[in-house]
Amino acid sequence: MFFHIVLERNMQLHPRFFGRNLRENLVSKLMKDVEGTCSGRHGFVVAITGIESVGKGLIRDGTAFVTFPVKYQCVVFRPFKGEILEAVVTLVNKMGFFAEAGPVQIFVSKHLIPDDMEFQAGDMPNYTTSDGSVKIQKECEVRLKIIGTRVDATEIFCVGTIKDDFLGVINDPAAAA
Amino acid sequence: MSGEEEENAAELKIGDEFLKAKCLMNCEVSLILEHKYEQLQQVSEDPMNQVSQVFEKSLQYVKRFSRYKNPDAVRQVREILSRHQLTEFELCVLGNLCPETAEEAVAMVPSLKTKGRAHSDEAIEKMLNDLSLVKRFE
Repeated sequence: MFFHIVLERNMQLHPRFFGRNLRENLVSKLMKDVEGTCSGRHGFVVAITGIESVGKGLIRDGTAFVTFPVKYQCVVFRPFKGEILEAVVTLVNKMGFFAEAGPVQIFVSKHLIPDDMEFQAGDMPNYTTSDGSVKIQKECEVRLKIIGTRVDATEIFCVGTIKDDFLGVINDPAAAA
Repeated sequence: MSGEEEENAAELKIGDEFLKAKCLMNCEVSLILEHKYEQLQQVSEDPMNQVSQVFEKSLQYVKRFSRYKNPDAVRQVREILSRHQLTEFELCVLGNLCPETAEEAVAMVPSLKTKGRAHSDEAIEKMLNDLSLVKRFE
């Protein structure tokens, strides 16, 4: 799910950036530093939408740098265990398939795909029901439930399931074409 | 680590910080990101180079999965859903997934049916109906 939250960060700035453009310099450095990063607590920082406040700078002892506490609003993407969302299938193999929902990767194991769907190897590996009516392949849109998350320093990785009511393929552009 | 152990969106256990935070539906994120992208376009020739991979992937994702495209419809959806004493998180899950029946809605957002909350099937059905009207007249 996407959230709009306020975060705080202590920005260190070199005195050569001081002057009347100090605020702009601070903001552009902030954007460069935090946009695109990921933390286990807040998830992926997608975009900064505004600055709430810039606190008083504090000179660091022994260096010329000055630290400013900056509060900023941003859009973050944070997946939760138990959350249901839509995702695009990116890779299918005999172990299961991978899907992407925005910046986050989700793996759905073969055991969490309905039992009546069988793996079919070939150019376009896929999972198909015995009557061929439902097919999961690359670029399909699926609705899945997140059942586990693993948080790295720079990435969040999820495990999902489509073995439940109202989950599974919602749209297959290849089949519609 | 114990906080992480308890996390479960189906029971609205998403941590205090996020429960109080403002949730965004995919269509709202789409409006925000596109606006930001347009601003970048004005200052640089190759905006795709300026943005992070996270931004790019998110933009593609929300464009693909936005149920409502025009800003008025997006506002209406939030207004309709906010009449029903939903939490921010529930509101956005419903807005994103647009379930068609009450049964589906409860499967998507099990917390609708937790004790002490008065969401009857009829009330849910009515809410979904209002939503589909917005979609139709968009």
